[in-house]
Amino acid sequence: MDGCIGRYLRVNLTEGKHRIEEIDPRLLEKFLGGRGLGVKVFTDEVDPQTDPLSPDNKLILASGPLVGTGAITGASCNVITRSSLTKTLACAKTRGHFGAELKFAGFDMVIIEGKAETPVILSIIDDKVRILPALEYWGRSTAETEDLFKKNLGDPWVARETFLVSIGPAGERLLPLANVVNDRYLSVGGAGTGAVMGSKNLKAIAVKGRHSLHVADGNRFVQVVNTMINKLNSAPLASQSMTQWGTAFLVGLCYQKGILPQNNFRWASLSLKNVGTEALNSAFVLRARGCFACPVACIKKTVVKHPTYQGKGMVPTYLAIGALGVNCGISDLSAIGMASMLCAEMGLDPVAAGGALATAMELVEKKVLSPEELKIDLRFGNAEILIQALRLIATKKGHAKRLGQGGKALAESSGRPDLFMGVKGLSLAPFDPRAIQGMGLHFATSNYGPHHLYANTFFDELLNVHENLDPWEIDGKPGLVKRYQDTSAVMDSLGLCNWPLMGLKFNNYVPLVNSCLGTSYKADDLLLIGERIWNLERVFNLSAGFNSSHDTLPDRFTKEPISDGPAEGQISRISEMIPEYYHLRGWNEKGEPPPETLKALELENE
Amino acid sequence: MPRIKIDHTKCTGCRHCETACSLNHVANTVNPRRARIRVMKEEDQYFPVIAGPFVDAACTSKQTIVIGNQTYDMCALCRASCPQKPYFIEAETGIPLKCDFCGIPPNPSCVRWCNTGALELVED
Repeated sequence: MDGCIGRYLRVNLTEGKHRIEEIDPRLLEKFLGGRGLGVKVFTDEVDPQTDPLSPDNKLILASGPLVGTGAITGASCNVITRSSLTKTLACAKTRGHFGAELKFAGFDMVIIEGKAETPVILSIIDDKVRILPALEYWGRSTAETEDLFKKNLGDPWVARETFLVSIGPAGERLLPLANVVNDRYLSVGGAGTGAVMGSKNLKAIAVKGRHSLHVADGNRFVQVVNTMINKLNSAPLASQSMTQWGTAFLVGLCYQKGILPQNNFRWASLSLKNVGTEALNSAFVLRARGCFACPVACIKKTVVKHPTYQGKGMVPTYLAIGALGVNCGISDLSAIGMASMLCAEMGLDPVAAGGALATAMELVEKKVLSPEELKIDLRFGNAEILIQALRLIATKKGHAKRLGQGGKALAESSGRPDLFMGVKGLSLAPFDPRAIQGMGLHFATSNYGPHHLYANTFFDELLNVHENLDPWEIDGKPGLVKRYQDTSAVMDSLGLCNWPLMGLKFNNYVPLVNSCLGTSYKADDLLLIGERIWNLERVFNLSAGFNSSHDTLPDRFTKEPISDGPAEGQISRISEMIPEYYHLRGWNEKGEPPPETLKALELENE
Repeated sequence: MPRIKIDHTKCTGCRHCETACSLNHVANTVNPRRARIRVMKEEDQYFPVIAGPFVDAACTSKQTIVIGNQTYDMCALCRASCPQKPYFIEAETGIPLKCDFCGIPPNPSCVRWCNTGALELVED
């Protein structure tokens, strides 16, 4: 297949050896690459019962066939492993420049096995694969690691073109909340992946290369990209809102519909004035940063000049504002920005860490835990303590060890598991499932816990981009969720970002794929591949000990109606949607894909 | 005479211009290292640099340039490719590269793919 390099790198850290292997072209046709290929290789090679932190677990970094070719937003790199937080298969995704550089370095995918005895850095620079000692990097933040590694390279021109993914102190300490961080400030959005990397004693991966990528029909490809840029520019959400504020523009919209959760998913009368886009404009100087080949550039970098909170980093995204801010009762954007920067530096996942803190805050408020027990005075709305707590969690100092095990473990050990707002051990992304039913169904059924980027149903439910759906209704939602879950699997496998779907239809991508890869897929063929990947992940999770009883939401969402605000009285009707969802997926009532479904998806031998 | 105006305050560092350039010069091939435009990062700023003439000797003195309160290395912003700066050299043949205002007239390909307006074609 054009676009792909057709080779992957297998590194065994126990032996300190590496091997370059060819990819079977039939696998590429069936799974495209990226997430699909990574999941296929991972499920083939790793036993579902493997302890996530044991040397037998593998870590796969896979970029897709469209990455680096100049296809718009072709920048994704998927991190596939068994997560130590959720114990499910995790396909975290990150953008930035790492995925593209990995392909220029000559590999579609890197598979990391085993465990190094001492800390190491994997360096793939100009066709030289080396496993370098990394003792001097151990304990450093992700930004410091990157700076020091580039300084140690000795040649500023090489350093300029080198890109890194690394873990921070949280990953080194094997915290389930730990994340892999890409390009110093982009977290990969997969709690538990950082701990897996840390358990292998792998501090960072650096890539640089000068390989060329081949496009099947260059002239046609250039035309298609031109058309897509024009289409994207005529869509106001993608070209204006996203370009101006990044995903943070969703804060206001979600607030108006009662979707933005506050104080651990209970409604409270917090003023939007403090966290909306106007506040964002006045709190930060926004500077747009683009991932590779992205015409939208939704990343916003800034220098914070607040008397208490100072630093350089990224303007908080919707996720950070929701999870670290509003859901912890905090409405000071400078503080939220600081907290999100800290998460990136320490290698913490903002959603999981924010969720753990919000759980702890409610436990303290309900007097289940006393502040003396935690030794931190965690309270809703106290930003300074939140920042202090994040630092303590990441360095596992003081009494933050319990917090660092995640919200679920904390709530269970305190005897109130009902106060943890999460599914499969991962805290909910900041969307209240009572006020956005389709997202609620996705949260319950997602293979990797409740993360909104695995099915962007809010494009239709909240923003009404392609379809005009009411977020509070359940009609047609199971179909919507299935379609978006499959779409997301395809987009990740191709290596594309999902956000442009806010302005483009999935069908618009078909000519891009075909002209680049030299294939003749139709939209339905691609969605079938997505369904195949989703089912393969499901099969892995079922063997790993998950079943339909895990496809549920915390009791709060099904029993306590929203008490106040625009969505007052709404309740999640998840149990009504699940049977139809299973039916649409072709699964039995226990949520298992029967042999005939697997056969139709050509997965019978898996 | 048409010229490409570069507004570095608008550059997001997405390097789409690099892919556009290499696609236009080597048939069906993408490789930013073979492009005649490269995006340089200096401190927190991105500077698109378009390949100028090749010089076979490096400068004998280094220069720094101060804009606002930041200091930049003049070498990074320089358009020339020289023995000290291994840019704008065709990897496979070693031939130095120079911008030739490619693409469908009147737009060079990099300008057409630059969506933020950092690269703009202007007429004098």
